[in-house]
Amino acid sequence: MTKSLQKTILDTLAYLVLVIGALTMLVPFLWMISVSFREPAQQYSRSLIPNPFVFQNYVDLFRVLPNNAFLALVFNSFKISTLTVIGQILTCAMAAFVFAVVKFKGRNFLFALLLATLMIPPQVSLIPNFIIFKYMHLIGTQWPLILPAFWGGAFGTFLLRQYFLTIPRDLVDAARMDGASLFDIFWRIYLPLSKPAVAALAIFVFKDAWNDLLHPLVYLPTDMQQTTLTVGLAFFQQQLQLGGKFTVLMAGAFLSILPLLIIFFIAQKQFIEGIALSGVKR
Amino acid sequence: MKNRIATILILVLIAALLLSACGSSKPTSSGPVEITFMMWGAPEEQTVWQAVVDDFQAANPNIKVNVEVSDWDSYWTKLNTLFAGGTPPDVFAMDAPLYLDWQSRGALLNLQPYIDANPGFLDGFYPQTLMAYKLDDGYYGLPRDFQTITLFYNKDMFDAAGMAYPTADWTYDDLLSASKQLTLDKDNDGKTDQYGLWTDTWDMELFWSELIWANGGEIISPDHTKTLIAEGGARDAWTYIDTLYKEGIMPTPATAGEYGGDLFQSGQAAMTTIGHWAVPGYVASNINFGVAPMPKGPKGAATSVNSAGFVISKDSKNHDAAFAFIKFALSEAGQKRLAELGFAIPVLKSVAESDAYLKQPGDLDQQVFLDSLAFAHMKPVFKGYEEWAGVVGDGLIPVWDGEADLNTALDAVVPSADEILANNK
Amino acid sequence: MEYGLKPLGREKLWLWLMLVPTIIGLLFGTIGSLLATLTLSFFDWDLIGSPTWAGISNYDALFKNESYMEAFSNTLKFSAMYVPGVVIISLLLAVLLNRKIRGVGIFRTIYFLPTVTSAVATALVWNMIYGRDTGILNFMLESVGMSPICWLCTNNAMLSVVIVNVWGAIGEGMIIFLAGLTAIPRDYYKAAELDGASGFQQFLRVTIPLVTPSIFFQTLIAAINAFQAYDYIYMLTRRSGGDSSVPVAVFSIYRNAFHFFRMGDASAQAIQLAVLVALFMGVMFWWERRYVVYE
Repeated sequence: MTKSLQKTILDTLAYLVLVIGALTMLVPFLWMISVSFREPAQQYSRSLIPNPFVFQNYVDLFRVLPNNAFLALVFNSFKISTLTVIGQILTCAMAAFVFAVVKFKGRNFLFALLLATLMIPPQVSLIPNFIIFKYMHLIGTQWPLILPAFWGGAFGTFLLRQYFLTIPRDLVDAARMDGASLFDIFWRIYLPLSKPAVAALAIFVFKDAWNDLLHPLVYLPTDMQQTTLTVGLAFFQQQLQLGGKFTVLMAGAFLSILPLLIIFFIAQKQFIEGIALSGVKR
Repeated sequence: MKNRIATILILVLIAALLLSACGSSKPTSSGPVEITFMMWGAPEEQTVWQAVVDDFQAANPNIKVNVEVSDWDSYWTKLNTLFAGGTPPDVFAMDAPLYLDWQSRGALLNLQPYIDANPGFLDGFYPQTLMAYKLDDGYYGLPRDFQTITLFYNKDMFDAAGMAYPTADWTYDDLLSASKQLTLDKDNDGKTDQYGLWTDTWDMELFWSELIWANGGEIISPDHTKTLIAEGGARDAWTYIDTLYKEGIMPTPATAGEYGGDLFQSGQAAMTTIGHWAVPGYVASNINFGVAPMPKGPKGAATSVNSAGFVISKDSKNHDAAFAFIKFALSEAGQKRLAELGFAIPVLKSVAESDAYLKQPGDLDQQVFLDSLAFAHMKPVFKGYEEWAGVVGDGLIPVWDGEADLNTALDAVVPSADEILANNK
Repeated sequence: MEYGLKPLGREKLWLWLMLVPTIIGLLFGTIGSLLATLTLSFFDWDLIGSPTWAGISNYDALFKNESYMEAFSNTLKFSAMYVPGVVIISLLLAVLLNRKIRGVGIFRTIYFLPTVTSAVATALVWNMIYGRDTGILNFMLESVGMSPICWLCTNNAMLSVVIVNVWGAIGEGMIIFLAGLTAIPRDYYKAAELDGASGFQQFLRVTIPLVTPSIFFQTLIAAINAFQAYDYIYMLTRRSGGDSSVPVAVFSIYRNAFHFFRMGDASAQAIQLAVLVALFMGVMFWWERRYVVYE
């Protein structure tokens, strides 16, 4: 058997496996979209193509919850996720810069301590944080979902620090010669030069905040004007399943993943590089 | 210098964003006392309760009541969060079986002083409904309405099969044979299109407690230390339910869930056992239905009575206003309004036996729900109810889904249930 | 001598100012909460009354508490299926994609989709797919003559939930492996080829040892995710009373803390989870030293 024939056979096999796998990955999404465009009477139909094709479910979505709650859910998710991104980028970048560039007493200890917290499961902080927010009378508001984004984090700091370390030091020395302050160097040199890493972190943080279920479930479990899309959808599930309205439910599900799909298609490179960055350059 | 300004600007921007994020808190109003009343229920109930509140506010201009209605699941989650966050509602609705759990947490106000100050206040109540709320040192809650469970049947399905409607003389054997006849696979695709019976067997209220009592069994020992659901006649009750599932007369929990829960409401089941709260929903879904008392078992007739009530948070700052509202809602005027609502049965005998309740629109025989009281057992009220119900309900689901053997599952459930009782002593 | 910029004069203040958020995070978010949770685990508290000292009774109760032990063993079972599932499938996919065939970008995008989208939304559609009477999965089984399966009934729920979780995670694992694979110098394969190694032998002798850092990393990530799995389980296995048919440790912590308000029990469970994670990490790092090959 020639080399090229062997390669052709193997490639064909690889394609076969990859295509079957890809279909498995896609079917749930296709099904979601399909059901969302069906008439309620067709909700259990086995045909992928909706017949007839209706938009009514998307209209109904904004009617099933009183006071435009679905719109509020979308808005809340955007607001909370955006603020989380701002908080994380700002606080993690500052810390990452200090750890990567500045020399000071206790740097290694503090950095090691921070890294060690990667090992603490987030569930451990859930209970004490709840109690702190209780005494701050913030339960039932969005604060407990936003504030923690502003206290840094091991993952973001680590990711950005790794990137900061690759920035040539000559730049810093030159800036120092010109009399730039520490903050200037951070703000004028490091942040602008780290756009790819910042973008990757921003996408990760946005995604995690947008998709978070546990925290909004703890702090805002029922208030449809205040809570996020994830909790809203979980709530919908109970409401709509009761009436057997899966078509509207799927419309809600699809709308809720649409923003992330769009971001993903636009910023796919950063997404994938970010994951590779966190995985390889350890 | 320029950078500092930029930094400050950014910080201000973030601060502004953060502040806007959480919205402004409610304006503090001076003048009239404002109280919050929370309850579970269908969205329609908000309208009717608003009517009760409007009447109340007209009579008490210096008290303002905000009504918040949520569905059953969200309601309890919301209450939990509000209590944990230290901002409980002033008045809220209570389900009798959960009453002791809440009372023992120290969350509820003892209403006895108010009752003492209003002699004769409880005289017109159905005594069965008061029983659930009475503790050694008084009432920490008062019943608002009550529910007896009855047999609902779809007249159209009975007519189509040429069968006579259920009567007060029906036994569980009649129920079984009728259900069998009414279970149909109309298009012969091997999947049932119409079930003879649908009911919930997770919680005891809709079916299994009635069946156990009708078989001469008991749910729990009087001192609340032993779970008796696997003893004597109770086991026969479970065997009966097992038959319903095994023969495909009743949809399994998994199947029922897939079709959206209440199959009687979606027109896929010929009968169900449920309380008066379901009536408005069935009417809205255009189900042509009638009601009959629960069937009789070997040990006679039995049904379940449960009451929803009012409680006041101990931490409320407006105890007096809160009680004034309860008092109004439990007066004849308030109870008449509730009767018109159509969801429940008034706790005041005078109102329940008046036209306000009995002559509701439609041809439903409202008397059936009242007559059922004669052979009704009170739904048990004990500490740890919620967890206990979870262990029993979850423990038997595998049996109903056809994955486990009934007796093995029962034998495993009882010790776990007893352990919960022991932990909640 | 490590490189480092020396802060000048008042810049020391700036330096610490820039670290303030991180330090607050350590105090309140992570290390502080670990200590707080540890403390709480020795008390009984329902958030309404005042806490009472409980000694080690909460820990004692853990081992006697059937439902918690079930949850804990479910977490272990779940991890035992999920971690190998994710690591093996994503490695396989990465190896296939690394063959420099056409359309790599499209495949990568498709496999990555579930990683981007929320578990809550996709769980809703999985719930339909898994339906016993109406789901397409059973429809497919029946059309090839197999009998339908009740995917979300108690006996099968664990497997069904693992499948969905693996489905949701292989995209990310694949990217990590792909990055590791592309980093392997071509020369190594050429050398192996000269030695007469077949394709499969090359895979075993060159690929596997050289992606051990990625395998290590991916196993670590997958295990941490497995210990914390919650979203799909919450969405797919919730029952009438709010409990789950596959309760896992995180589910139990959530329910004890925020449903039953047994802060002491929940804290003890959280600490036990933390200990499990720490133990696992210890084993992993030991394993790393022995077997992971860094160039």
